[in-house]
Amino acid sequence: MLLKLENLTYCLGEDTERLITVSGTVPEGSVLVIRGPSGAGKSTLLRVLARLKPCLNGRVLLKGKEWFDIPAAAWRTTVHYLPQSPVTFDGTAADNLAKPFTTAIMKNKTPDWELVEKLVSELLLPPKILEQEAKTLSGGEAARMAFIRSLLVDPAVLLLDEPTAALDSKARQAFYKVLARWLKAPGRAALLISHNEDYEALENISYLDITTGQGGN
Amino acid sequence: MDTTGTIPISNYQLAFTVLLVLITGTISAVLKLGLLRSLIWGTVRTFVQLTLVGYALTYIFNINNIWLIITVITIMCYAASRTAVKRTPNVPNYPYLLAFASLAASTYLVGSIVVGLIISPEPWYSARIVIPIFGMLLGNSMNGIALSLDRLYGEVRARAHEIEAMLSFGATPWEAIRPSVREAIRAGMTPTINSLMVVGLVSLPGMMTGQILGGANPQEAVRYQIVVMLMITSAVAIGCLILVGLSYKNFFNEDGALKTSVIQRDKKN
Repeated sequence: MLLKLENLTYCLGEDTERLITVSGTVPEGSVLVIRGPSGAGKSTLLRVLARLKPCLNGRVLLKGKEWFDIPAAAWRTTVHYLPQSPVTFDGTAADNLAKPFTTAIMKNKTPDWELVEKLVSELLLPPKILEQEAKTLSGGEAARMAFIRSLLVDPAVLLLDEPTAALDSKARQAFYKVLARWLKAPGRAALLISHNEDYEALENISYLDITTGQGGN
Repeated sequence: MDTTGTIPISNYQLAFTVLLVLITGTISAVLKLGLLRSLIWGTVRTFVQLTLVGYALTYIFNINNIWLIITVITIMCYAASRTAVKRTPNVPNYPYLLAFASLAASTYLVGSIVVGLIISPEPWYSARIVIPIFGMLLGNSMNGIALSLDRLYGEVRARAHEIEAMLSFGATPWEAIRPSVREAIRAGMTPTINSLMVVGLVSLPGMMTGQILGGANPQEAVRYQIVVMLMITSAVAIGCLILVGLSYKNFFNEDGALKTSVIQRDKKN
């Protein structure tokens, strides 16, 4: 089992009275779709899994290994969160793709620019986009560039928070095609929040409903 | 150059300042500014506070005891770190202890260099030199650290998403917050650096003016002013560095994630 959530309990925002407990499993090559009404705590769950927000109880296992046995920086590049609103830093789109490689833990790696070029065209982005100032990208472009950047981080588990919200239907299909291929490599899985149920391209989908707090295979 | 010393102001002459208060009071009354009460209260406080400080300084200068001087400066550091709060509207849970520690460290370090190496009075802890020098250092570092602390919180709040993205790329808290820290230290130092550019052109600094009124040779006063400007610059730099360096960890929890409670302006909103 790639990722296992055992009675993971967290609170919504700072509100300790609204507790949510979830359990679930995410096998290799699969996608766990998180469902639930707005404000149910779907994004919060992904942030908890990325260790960007503390949980109150329970634990997560990555390939059977206790999550807090792994240092936070290593965990966050392995179980990697892609937020709903894409984050852009000052500089060009290419600078933004190279951003993860400025941290000490990633310093020995370099971005695979051939892969970038391939992904740019597969995600229907203009080839010249890399030279563009990142802050001038449209919402949909920024979202896809952030997705490419997260793939360059080379995580085992991608936590995708409405990754296609700003994309048109053609771009969405392209997005899921890339994601489906990425999942085919060994040792990978994804958790996905999406309001559009347009992820037919994905295989091995299971569901986790936040209202019941149970799910997975 | 004729150095006659200060022309003393007698009680009788001092009483004439009432005339100035009357002018201000008349303007306030005619225009119904509603400042009359504050003006009178402020005038009384000015007389009382400064007279007391005058007696206190005379006493301190006369006995010139090193422990008394250290006590006075420490109280000044405490007062300055309290006052800095008012200039940090962005900062919840203002870190009094950190502000005090960074002010005290920068002031004692720079002050000792100035008094010990540059001015070297006899004895080296001469209160007449030490207290005004440390006072000027504190007054300016206080503004500097307040500006940079306020900016740090503002930056972190504005860049929270960038900081979390950096954490997701495997950045340490320090790597993630570094751009905000840089802006914060810049913000603290900029006014002092700017003042180095315009000093003497736009206005004569208060200390130099005071020395000239006191009968000092302007060229002597200028030398003092150069020392003062440069010591203030380094005290501000050191103070900002220490405070920001000590407080950045407050933004993160023990797992190195950004605390939402620190960056929210007001939990109730």
